[in-house]
Amino acid sequence: MPQMEVARPVPGPVPASSLWKFLRLHFEFARVGFVNTLAYRLRYYTGIVTYFIYVSVYYFIWKAIYEHSASIEGFDFAHLLTYIGVGWIIRSLYFNNIDQDLAYQVIEGRLAMDLIKPVNIQFMYVARAAGEAVFRLALLTVPTALILFLVYPLRLPASFGGFLTFLMSIGLSFLIVAAINFAVGTFALRLQSILGLLRAKFFLLELFSGLLLPMTFFPHIAQKILDFMPFQYISYIPMLIYLGKLHGIDLVRAMGIQVFWVVALMAIGDGLWRWSTGKLIIQGG
Amino acid sequence: MPPIIEVQDLTKEFRTFRRREGVLGALQNLFVREYLTVHAVDHVSFSIEPGEMVGYIGANGAGKSTTIKVLTGILSPTGGKVISNGFVPYRQRRHYTKHIGVVFGQRTQLWWDIAVIESFKLLKEIYEIPERDYRRRLDVFSELLNLKEYLHTPVRKLSLGERMRCDLAASLLHNPPLLFLDEPTIGLDVVAKERIREFLKEINRTEGTTVLLTTHDLSDIEELSKRILIIDKGRILFDGDLEQMKNRLAQYNQVKFFLKDRSQVPRLAQIETDGIVCQRVDDLTYLIRFDRAKHSSAGVIRQIVNTLEVRDLLVEEEPIEEIVKRIYLKGEVA
Repeated sequence: MPQMEVARPVPGPVPASSLWKFLRLHFEFARVGFVNTLAYRLRYYTGIVTYFIYVSVYYFIWKAIYEHSASIEGFDFAHLLTYIGVGWIIRSLYFNNIDQDLAYQVIEGRLAMDLIKPVNIQFMYVARAAGEAVFRLALLTVPTALILFLVYPLRLPASFGGFLTFLMSIGLSFLIVAAINFAVGTFALRLQSILGLLRAKFFLLELFSGLLLPMTFFPHIAQKILDFMPFQYISYIPMLIYLGKLHGIDLVRAMGIQVFWVVALMAIGDGLWRWSTGKLIIQGG
Repeated sequence: MPPIIEVQDLTKEFRTFRRREGVLGALQNLFVREYLTVHAVDHVSFSIEPGEMVGYIGANGAGKSTTIKVLTGILSPTGGKVISNGFVPYRQRRHYTKHIGVVFGQRTQLWWDIAVIESFKLLKEIYEIPERDYRRRLDVFSELLNLKEYLHTPVRKLSLGERMRCDLAASLLHNPPLLFLDEPTIGLDVVAKERIREFLKEINRTEGTTVLLTTHDLSDIEELSKRILIIDKGRILFDGDLEQMKNRLAQYNQVKFFLKDRSQVPRLAQIETDGIVCQRVDDLTYLIRFDRAKHSSAGVIRQIVNTLEVRDLLVEEEPIEEIVKRIYLKGEVA
């Protein structure tokens, strides 16, 4: 056997990793997430059909509603249709399964395999989900967008600058959803089976994110409460940016709050993770 | 040198609640829960020196895996103290796991849907292995474990033996001083087992890697580890080397003999005295198991050859499987 005079790392506190190392490692996680998804690419063809059907259903419902009024809560039909259609298109991008991934890791007793690695688990999951998102961008988001824009009279973005801001805002939406999903997923560590909880979260997110209808359609009191929650910063805010309804200081403020929620939710997720690992039960053996 | 692992009074309790049966029971469960406390590990103490290979055995549910999970930073103990490689595993998980290797035989730490080599590349980033070291170790492992053919195959397409070899390589890419193996040979065929044992011996010899392994296959222990720890119902029953275990715990010797022909069979009854019992193995082969304290092998053999015409005769120590089985069943040593 050839000699392997590899220096062993000296035990002891590891110096804070540089930003470069951090990015490189998480880029690798993202790459694995991307490559891993390759194995399931067929799933996305059915995804395109599903998204098309969703948007079509809402098209007919809203068309019927708008028969009697030109504008509801500041949205005319063309605006609302764009809100719904583009809202679903971006959903295909910011959506991720971190909560389910965690739940299944626990159910199948594989969480130990994550824990034996010297990494921040939350960042690892988020990076991997980002890799999957890039994959979906090519196989789901772009084809769905092409089809929907061809079939329905969806509006193009208000301006090019606005479109770039919109893309940045979706990036933050992705991180908000990822952080929420991770935080909710940590409950699997204590409760073992959280699939029911995840369904409830799924519907709450669809409703309160503004995916199904703009926040202005909600009762006043609900709007006031939801203002203090992260949900509308997932879909409603990016869509307002897309439609050119947010300008100047309002725009900066909205995106500032998005950033705030990313940081706050990730901190909450980290806290929940620490709290849960203390009580961990590993299935099997 | 100070011990690399020190475990003192390690205790891990799990609280589970008793589920009642039926619809009424399920409703009752919602409001009133009866908790049961299970002591998976109960005041376990041991220490391991650098470079040792230690076998950790026990029946299913004895507490082996729980111990390993505490030692690898996965579980926090309820009580006791663990210092491993200078760290408290469950408090400093991220720093600690950088310096250990772990293989769980029933799971894989590789990414299921991507090629083995992709997983290795990712591990290189995770453990910050320098390019040169990575290349060299990968070459060495590929050769020793014969990985070359399927480095580019997704893990899900590998056989169990192939996967296990890849997992072993993965756990050692960063050259950890400490390696934990939880049932590394489970479900493997004889050749695959042999290859893995040889590899572990080689790594232990050349790198001085300390190895703690759990197994149900006692030949792993016989081949790999001088020292064994036996745990039962959360308590350490035995800690010592294999010879000590045989000397202290073997109760029987056995003589296997082959009769010359069937005419000898009726005479067997004559030697069945004073606690000596003949067991039939097949037509002409019989086995006598006798208490080492009461009889000497020489005496038993003399009696056999004086009474019967035998073609051949074999004296054996009590197989360690038997010793261990007795310990598991009785739950105590002696």
